[in-house]
Amino acid sequence: MGTPMSTRDAPPPYAVDAQDLGVRYNLRLTRQTTVRTSFRNLLKRSDGPTHFWALRNVSFRVVHGESLAIIGPNGAGKSTLLQVLAGIIRPNEGSVDVIGHVSSLLTLGAGFDPDLSGRDNIRLAGAFLGIHHREMEERLPGIVDFADLGDFIDASIKTYSSGMRARLGFSIATAVDPDVLIIDEVLSTGDAVFRAKSKKRIVELTKAAKGIVLVTHDMTWVTEFCNRAILLEGGRIVLEGAPADVVKLHQERSERSRIAREEELARRVAAVDKPSEATG
Amino acid sequence: MSTPTPARPIRVARRLSSREFIAEGFREIWSRRRLARYLVRADLHKHGADTFLGNVWWLLDPLLQMVVYVVLVSVIARVSKPDYPLFVFCAILPWKWFSTAVNDGISSVTSRERIIKQVKFPTIVLPVSATLSGVVNFVFGFIPLVALILLFFPHRQFATILLIPFVAVVQFVFSLAIAMFVAATNVFFRDIANVARHGLRLWFYLSPALYELSDVSERSQTLGTLMALNPWTPLFESYRAVIYEGTMPSWGPLAVLLAVSLVMLALATLYFKRLEPAFAKVL
Repeated sequence: MGTPMSTRDAPPPYAVDAQDLGVRYNLRLTRQTTVRTSFRNLLKRSDGPTHFWALRNVSFRVVHGESLAIIGPNGAGKSTLLQVLAGIIRPNEGSVDVIGHVSSLLTLGAGFDPDLSGRDNIRLAGAFLGIHHREMEERLPGIVDFADLGDFIDASIKTYSSGMRARLGFSIATAVDPDVLIIDEVLSTGDAVFRAKSKKRIVELTKAAKGIVLVTHDMTWVTEFCNRAILLEGGRIVLEGAPADVVKLHQERSERSRIAREEELARRVAAVDKPSEATG
Repeated sequence: MSTPTPARPIRVARRLSSREFIAEGFREIWSRRRLARYLVRADLHKHGADTFLGNVWWLLDPLLQMVVYVVLVSVIARVSKPDYPLFVFCAILPWKWFSTAVNDGISSVTSRERIIKQVKFPTIVLPVSATLSGVVNFVFGFIPLVALILLFFPHRQFATILLIPFVAVVQFVFSLAIAMFVAATNVFFRDIANVARHGLRLWFYLSPALYELSDVSERSQTLGTLMALNPWTPLFESYRAVIYEGTMPSWGPLAVLLAVSLVMLALATLYFKRLEPAFAKVL
């Protein structure tokens, strides 16, 4: 106390501090349960695992100004991790501290109401995100401008193509200036022109935000724009480190698993073929 | 080894007490009233704009329903009451609001599955807006009501009709509590809608909507006492008193119902808030 700390000892200003995260899913409570199925589940106690850990023992920190990429195969728990950081899912184990205002750009256009116009959907999205309506009205022209939908902005969303929806979603999601930005695979939306525009926007946000956590399958993005990367597999961290190293390991491992899958397939095909040869 | 100064945690692991949960729920509703407003507007837009006659259906629907019940009761069951169409209309109007609030409340959370999994926002706003959209519908219902009185029952013009808001407030609190309860439950048991469809119909016929409480209590005292416990008994009787009979609503039972509804609302808020963290995972 009171002793001046040298810069080396000073606690780094964390934007995100995740300690020993664990998220467990109750398989009995999966979607579309009815009273009947849940009674049946109560009676049949012993069929298979009841729980599934989507994330386990995940710890990491994001320092101010840092951009962290989460990569990994499908079902590795990447999206679950982002949901935890965004505060949508509460972890069953461990803790997450996110300092400042978080903005999550998870799947774009999630809250769109197909019957409302593009303009009204911008207002609705702002209300969902908890942005004050006056602030939203101020941002509205900018969002409309960036989405560049022409007269369609006043037509109902159900007349939009999927690319137009994505453009509007991206424009809304990036119109906020958050302290911590959470991005889930939003870099590949729209046509080439819009993609270039959105890439530029993300880079600007990256510079402005205190911290970024993003999930992407675009490995060049990871190596170009991220300071650090985490490889997630089966809900656990396999490697954390420099983007180039992590991407390399990820590519090696996915290549290996692809070969393994192909060998397995070949083996099965052979097993099916053999008896037919014998009979034929 | 120096431990870093603990960052100010946003998500606290500590469990809130029941009272804190309820307070938080109400705070969230108030702070997100703008969202509720947009959702109500979107809902109205959906129900009005896309049909051939638009909002005209809102006026026709209760009238057509009234015709059905009048035919059913006065022609088939041969029960005669003076100005029976108006008698029935007094019940149809508030009941439509209630059944819409319950039915829309049931799907209010599950139909917003996608945004719940993508954005952190207080989902408690959803059943609130479902209940609120019914208010607009209810208010629209006064157009055919007033028309009915002026054109066919001019001798039933009473100033007591202005007391409707007092009855409606009690109904609102009661409906909101039910809507919150079913909204959260439907996430875990998706067949609540089937139960509600039949449950609501049964409830309507068991309540003094098409008949009076006195019709029952004259025949059986115990049945009459049991019916007095039905929350819809004071509501229907009060609506009818102020619109059809031109008398004061039954203030006593209404006050009791308001007190009970407020307790129910607090419990429903608690129930909703306790289950809310699981929504994103289960949906």
